[in-house]
Amino acid sequence: MTDSTPHSSETPASGPAVGQDEWVARHAERRLIRGGPLAPMEERLRAVPWWVWLTLFVGVMCLLPAVTASGYVRRVGFDTVLYMMLALGLNVVVGWGGLLDLGYVAFYGLGAYSYALLDSDQFHVHLPAYVAIPVVVVIGAIAGFLLGLPSRRLHGDYLAIVTLFFLQLFQTIATNGDSIFGHNVTGGAFGIFTVKPLHAFGHNLVVQHQGVFAVSYYFVALGFFALIYVALRFVNLSRTGRAWRSLREDPLAAEAMGMPVNALKLMSFAFGAAIAALTGTIFASLSASVLPLTFYFVLLITIYTMVILGGSGSMRGVVLGALVIGPLLELLRDPNKSRIIFYVALIGGLVFAFRRSRRLGIVVAATLAFGFACRAIAGALHHSWIAGSADGGLQHVVSYWLIIPKHLAGWIPPVSYVGVICVALVLTLVHGRLRLVLLPPTLYLAAFVWDNVMLTQPDPARYIVLGLILIALMIIRPNGLLGERRVEIV
Amino acid sequence: MDTFIQLTIDALTLGSVYALIALGYTLVYGVLKLLNFAHGDVFMVGTFIGYGVLQLLGGSSSPNVPVWLLIPIITLAAMVGCAILGVVIERFAYRPLRDAPRIAPLISALGVSFFLANSMQLLFGATPRTYNAFNLGNGELYFKGFDIGNVRVPLLRIITIGSAFVLMIALYFLVNKTRTGKAMRATSYDREAAAMMGIDIDKVIRFTFILGSALAGAAGVMFALRVPTTAAIGFVAGLKGFTAAVIGGIGSIPGAMAGGLILGFAESYTQGYVSTKWSDLVVFSILIAFMIFRPQGLLGRADIRKV
Amino acid sequence: MKKGISLFVVLVAMAVVAASAQANHQASASAAKGFSCKSTFTLPFVTPLTGGAAFLGQEQMSWASYAVKTLAPKLHLKVKLVGGDTPVEQGATPAQDLAQKYVGDKSVFAILGPSTSGAVAASSATYFAAGIAHLSPSATRTDLTKTVAGVREGTPAFFRDVPGDYIQGPSDANYMIKTLHVKKVVIMDFQEPYSIGLAASVQTVLNAAGVTTIRLSAPNTTTDYSAFVTKVPSDADIVFFPTQKPADAQTFAQQLLEQGKKAKVFGGDGSNDSTQFKVPGSYVSNFAPDITGIAADKALVSGWQKANPGKPVGSFGPPSYGAAQILLNAIHLACVADHGVLKSRRDVLRKVKQVSIKNWILGGTFKWSTKSNDPLNAKFYIFQIQSDGSYKLVG
Repeated sequence: MTDSTPHSSETPASGPAVGQDEWVARHAERRLIRGGPLAPMEERLRAVPWWVWLTLFVGVMCLLPAVTASGYVRRVGFDTVLYMMLALGLNVVVGWGGLLDLGYVAFYGLGAYSYALLDSDQFHVHLPAYVAIPVVVVIGAIAGFLLGLPSRRLHGDYLAIVTLFFLQLFQTIATNGDSIFGHNVTGGAFGIFTVKPLHAFGHNLVVQHQGVFAVSYYFVALGFFALIYVALRFVNLSRTGRAWRSLREDPLAAEAMGMPVNALKLMSFAFGAAIAALTGTIFASLSASVLPLTFYFVLLITIYTMVILGGSGSMRGVVLGALVIGPLLELLRDPNKSRIIFYVALIGGLVFAFRRSRRLGIVVAATLAFGFACRAIAGALHHSWIAGSADGGLQHVVSYWLIIPKHLAGWIPPVSYVGVICVALVLTLVHGRLRLVLLPPTLYLAAFVWDNVMLTQPDPARYIVLGLILIALMIIRPNGLLGERRVEIV
Repeated sequence: MDTFIQLTIDALTLGSVYALIALGYTLVYGVLKLLNFAHGDVFMVGTFIGYGVLQLLGGSSSPNVPVWLLIPIITLAAMVGCAILGVVIERFAYRPLRDAPRIAPLISALGVSFFLANSMQLLFGATPRTYNAFNLGNGELYFKGFDIGNVRVPLLRIITIGSAFVLMIALYFLVNKTRTGKAMRATSYDREAAAMMGIDIDKVIRFTFILGSALAGAAGVMFALRVPTTAAIGFVAGLKGFTAAVIGGIGSIPGAMAGGLILGFAESYTQGYVSTKWSDLVVFSILIAFMIFRPQGLLGRADIRKV
Repeated sequence: MKKGISLFVVLVAMAVVAASAQANHQASASAAKGFSCKSTFTLPFVTPLTGGAAFLGQEQMSWASYAVKTLAPKLHLKVKLVGGDTPVEQGATPAQDLAQKYVGDKSVFAILGPSTSGAVAASSATYFAAGIAHLSPSATRTDLTKTVAGVREGTPAFFRDVPGDYIQGPSDANYMIKTLHVKKVVIMDFQEPYSIGLAASVQTVLNAAGVTTIRLSAPNTTTDYSAFVTKVPSDADIVFFPTQKPADAQTFAQQLLEQGKKAKVFGGDGSNDSTQFKVPGSYVSNFAPDITGIAADKALVSGWQKANPGKPVGSFGPPSYGAAQILLNAIHLACVADHGVLKSRRDVLRKVKQVSIKNWILGGTFKWSTKSNDPLNAKFYIFQIQSDGSYKLVG
């Protein structure tokens, strides 16, 4: 996807130029054409058409069931594909339309519930897939349109509020929908649990073989993903896509140029909602049940993190974001894998920050030394302070460096947790040599907190990581991995 | 009639807490044009701070200080603690984003909210914590009070409503009669112009956050004196406080107070007279109606955008 | 900068792959030969460990880990307890993901939980298809083990060691009718499956006996019940309050007193906690007497309290201990029958119903009912809170 910012091989390296906004100057994209051995390869890679990438990607994803027979990995893969679809849909609303839609998962839920009502024992309606799916997509689009109608005149924060309340509204109706004028419509808090799998021409789409997740659903999801991607690609390159981009960059200017701003907003809502509804049908038919609480705040934040991480506005970016965050969340459930990820991220972060300089070596050596010293002191004071690691593997290796006590006194987790946050914040305030000096103890303390406090409860720890990613992203790199830089001239 | 009086008292109690939370939202929005999603979780942290201090002072069954001193102490502790937390959040999560597109601090706020709620759960577990104000002074907070007709207004509710009003009046004076308050109002009208007039924006914003978060802390103690608290209440409390601020007109201080009370009344009367099941729905529908037909709320200024 | 970020992402991706490869290796290791009973079993506990119901999961987890720690060595088994988080806020997906994970893990032969009825409904079919027994300490929805209106959500591989709503509801209601002679009862639910199920079954029995019932429904996120207290008529005898948070029951009872209402709070098994709910005059029903009063449990309770200082004993925890005990015994029986090498998970599944435990943690002897996968002769005990806060058995 070509970038819309102009390439320039000379960029002012210091200070804002006259007439340029300060924030833009500080974060100006430096598109210096680098030399070196990789440059021709990069140029050629850039010239490869998008559909080749897509086919390659889908192909690689299709190989997943061949590589592993584990139903769990396939299921996580399936969930990730669903996340990718949801991220693409949110990208339409937030990345292209520039509308902060905090009620997005309500459309996901609407799609799931609509499918549940069309193909379950709730009303004893069983429509085949080729009827149910288009119907639900249309319902989603209409709902998006309806939400967009009152939101036309609202901007920014107000829009966020209204959409958030719409989410809350959906949640309330779904939870209490078991007595709408005496009829049990949504199954209330129990949800609808007799949803049938997708079926067409008399055949059901197989969900599992002897308990193990079957691949058919995975391929169907991939198929829909490819479909959505292609459709969005064409929309992006069309007039509507360009209009959306101009709307996002500056709504006032777009309006002054004669763009039908309201119609564009409505369309972006409708599109996003339709994609979410489609994803909902696949989800509902696989889960064989829909529960109201699934479509709520936690899911919203997760998808937002994916979109922001990947770069809102970039389709490839959000897919990448989903690909990173989806499995990451699942992997962080297991303490052993969490530990691996932590250390890889730590080392990766150090390499990224110091980039093969002498300082990198100094910091790593200092951290190791500091750690060994602390552990030796702790061991000398009381040997149960370092006797805690029972499992094998990485924890045992690390326990030679890290203090892992057998029993953690009650005050240690809160104090060390708050401590590491304070020290890390202080680290962002100081510069130069002081920062280098403070870094090793901070890293050691962070490793201590991770191993002893956060890994004992991996589940809230997962979400803490998610929250931190969001905050750090917005501060360090708001356009995510592959997004375009957006500037709002106030 | 008794039901009406009782519901009104419930409404006032609820509304006071909502108003205090809403004030925090409104103050920050006025100065930064930022919806601080993390505010509800600052409120939640306030309830925990109050609980911690209460336990330090001996717990509600055998406190080391007399009751009339205990409650102000915990409130003050919560206010101070939350003020510090608010300043830290502002300094590290919002200040770097001050000149970024509006969406950036909003998302950062979402991240902070998520982070706070899950951190508290990580550190303190999910068991609900109660102040057990019932035990204080052998239940005097619940049984002593004055009567309106057949309905008794217990001391605890008087304290809640009273403190809220005292704090709101104090806030009013701070904002309208002091120099820093004037600086705050100037910043909320036009930040760049205020900077050019020599106002230290960073100090003003920090002051705003201190005020807003301190109010949230006080609200937390008022709230937790009567109901149990967990790490998960931040989201809903924030949503309700937010609703109140928007109804009253976000950016307007009397609006936030009015909005909080209106929300309290709406919730209370709907639950009492219409149906408990659909009370949430009614409240949110009112809110959405407001947003559509009068986005600036009751007392807010219509947002005039200069081209 | 972009290159650095891409490099970083690649590193993380590699870590992800490396970590997941570890899982595959584990899964394919001991495939066809049979599982030696001397190797380490994995016992997953599927319960909400985060989110709104986290207090439930964490309490259950602490008792289950105590059970595994103390009982597994006695049965010559090496067992690792792992938590599988199914937050109620995320619906069916976590339950199904975890089901896939455990089906693929060859060291899993039984599942503790799922604790929430919704998670059971979402994953029971998967476990049944794979032949894995799953025993829940708290999923009490009636249609998980019995067919209700033609629907049965649970499969024959699902068991539970606590009685279902179909026992608790009527027994509470009958106590109210026969012993308390109620005329007017306010029934509350909290818009989530546990309370709705119980409230519905209590209401049916009360209505059939001619008692006036008023049903109030509170959103799940309610913390301040003042308006609900106001709606309780001054001549109501009882407020049936099937909450899962004893602290809420306490607050509600206090507010009833505050407003001078004469109604007493009647809590379900979810509000059974003498440290949190202790307003005198209130009633609590539970599937077991207070285990701190059972002589045979003294050592157990003090051992648990030593390992978990400062935490209340609670009512959700002990059934988890019992559930872990039953499963460990089933695995032990299967190991004995298979001469030390388990051939399939169905061997363990078949032995579950043969387990019977004397001096069970919840009192008496534990036996399975022959007609369903529920405990035999399960009954509910009704307690009244005395003026000193203790629970006295009254029915």
